[in-house]
Amino acid sequence: MMMKRTTLAAALSIALLSPATADAKIRILACEPEWAALAEEIGGEDVIVHSATHGRQDAHYIRARPSLIAKVRRAKILFCSDAELEVGWLPVLLERGAGRIVQPGQLGHIMAADHVEALERSEVVDRSLGDIHPSGNPHVHLDPRNMTILAEVLTERLEQIDPERAGAYRQRLASFQARWADAVAGWQERATELHGMKVIVYHKAWVYLLRWARLERVSGIPPSASHLVEVLEQVRNIGAGAILRAPHEPEDASEWLSGKTGVPVVDLPFTVGGSPEADDLFSLFDSTLALLEEARDRS
Amino acid sequence: MEAQSQEEGQQTAPAPRPVGDNSFNPAIGVVLNAMFTDHSEDEVGLPGFQLGHESERTEKGFSLGHSEVTMSGNIDDKFRGALTLGLGAHGGETELELEEAYVQTLAGSGLPDGTRLKVGRALWTFGYLNEHHAHGDDFADRPLPYRAFLDGAYNDDGLELSVVLPGDFYKEVGGGLFRGGDTPFGGSVSGREAWSAYARIGGDVGRDSALRLGAYILDGAAHGRSGGAHAHGDEHDEHAGNGHGDGYNGEDGHHDHDEEHAHDAFFSEGTFTGDTRLLGVDFRYTWAPTGNARDSELILQGEYFRRIEEGDYSLEELECEESEVEGAEHHHEVCEMHLDTERLNGDAHGWYAQAVYKFLPQWRAGVRHAQLSPPSDAELADDISTISAMLDWPNSEFGRVRFQYNRESFGATRDNQFLLHYVMSLGAHAAHSF
Repeated sequence: MMMKRTTLAAALSIALLSPATADAKIRILACEPEWAALAEEIGGEDVIVHSATHGRQDAHYIRARPSLIAKVRRAKILFCSDAELEVGWLPVLLERGAGRIVQPGQLGHIMAADHVEALERSEVVDRSLGDIHPSGNPHVHLDPRNMTILAEVLTERLEQIDPERAGAYRQRLASFQARWADAVAGWQERATELHGMKVIVYHKAWVYLLRWARLERVSGIPPSASHLVEVLEQVRNIGAGAILRAPHEPEDASEWLSGKTGVPVVDLPFTVGGSPEADDLFSLFDSTLALLEEARDRS
Repeated sequence: MEAQSQEEGQQTAPAPRPVGDNSFNPAIGVVLNAMFTDHSEDEVGLPGFQLGHESERTEKGFSLGHSEVTMSGNIDDKFRGALTLGLGAHGGETELELEEAYVQTLAGSGLPDGTRLKVGRALWTFGYLNEHHAHGDDFADRPLPYRAFLDGAYNDDGLELSVVLPGDFYKEVGGGLFRGGDTPFGGSVSGREAWSAYARIGGDVGRDSALRLGAYILDGAAHGRSGGAHAHGDEHDEHAGNGHGDGYNGEDGHHDHDEEHAHDAFFSEGTFTGDTRLLGVDFRYTWAPTGNARDSELILQGEYFRRIEEGDYSLEELECEESEVEGAEHHHEVCEMHLDTERLNGDAHGWYAQAVYKFLPQWRAGVRHAQLSPPSDAELADDISTISAMLDWPNSEFGRVRFQYNRESFGATRDNQFLLHYVMSLGAHAAHSF
């Protein structure tokens, strides 16, 4: 009888404790697909990754859906862009269900913009200036060099949260960094050919890509139609090679401008899943450069 | 910079971001709100229901509604606190209302994962709208069941524990204990007269839509609950027996009007002492047709409530008798206040369903139907119903202008209401829950 009870207790404690033991996979909730893709590169089969948004969504405009509350509750790592991009819904997730480990300042809380040089930090902060991000432009993933930094950060956090599999994370990081460095070298070369290409962009999605590839921003498409006329003038005077557009950006203004000026609209994937070709981080940059090259050759 | 943070010790978390002095101040948010309203009927209430301040129609002409000031911040690693003051203008007077003043636990509090305790005064979890501040609603006014059963919203004093259960599927349960000082209760004797419980489930439906369902109970005792609103908008005109129901009942020429009115008066003007229980279910469904909610989004939402009451409705009535005093030359009228009490079991229902569609990034249109069945004992033959249509224009996430038309019906009476409304917020603005 005594034996039985002990066995039962042991079996029960194993059953109860097992989710916390080493064989359980680390759950990662990424706010955007690019960070989910990076988490998969480093975590491989040792992690379960979910992305809160998909390639067609504007991450600023989603809701704190019930499914995200359930996901954040189990997550050991929260991997987001930050710089206020997710301010409309992430605080709800953190308050509702999220564990201590993913709270700000904790190991499982990774905000990409905190770890790289954020562009467009504004000194003057006023809501009359529109949708601005005081702590910088959040779309840091479009400079491939930032990925190198964030791969390091993520690996280090994974190692601390899940020390038993630290070796596996390190190994995947080494493999990723080697492949990424090769790829970036190739992309840099291709980007050199694009230097100075004149492009028109929506207001904030493309800052990092433009700086990295040294494309020249002729003008930005403003949110309101009245300013479009000014942009039209600028484009007619200076000329441009392409209007860059992300899947989540509105079509009407760019189509109008393209129709008036003959400058082609180039639909870039912007993130992993933003086009059928861009199904991981490598193909995201490959296809982005290919589309830019195509636009340059046409003009 | 990055290299440095990577070299930090094994146990230490990344260094917190540098904070200026202001970062320790609470976040302050202000919501400004104003309305222009026109009604086709002058005197209407909700026949069969007590009317509170928040359940009245908006005042005719220009009115301010509620302005709100919220201060919130983390107290330490375990607690977060918030204070919301509502500044309302009612009948020419400015009223300060303590809408919320609560402390809630943070993830580091030591409670099990997913568990939150909230203590103080708050907009408690009951149905969909109750826990939200009214400025975030999709329509300019709260739907009929909220006006009749909750006087706008239930924000009593008490505590609430909620638990998000583990699993990929969203499941949340919770419950609370309350003072019982706010509608549907009132005049708390013991200071702990009410309790609540709820369960919610939800998840994604495909890639671009999400659904949440909930079931709720709010149960307790009321001790002399009264409406307290002035349906006529004229304080001096108010005396017992001249009720909110008049606007409707006076015109429909019902043959047993007096008898019907007598019962109705108990519910709309009397005070209630007894047990009251509210049962509710709600759903909310959101869908972004293009995948991107910035372009377009459809939101469907509905709630159903049933109120079961058992207790005494009391009504003070002025009763007058003409008496002839011997020897006197003229008649003399003797009046005295008389307390009428009637035991009533009222089972009332109410529901609404609404659809809001964002058809352009800066335009949304919506329709809502709301219906209310008065307590069975009130013996009112007709339901009250409202059909609403709204169009709103959010210039940014922080400000919107809204036009709304309501057609409220009771019996043969139709009240056409036109509302032009703005809601603007400045300063800190909390993220919105689903």
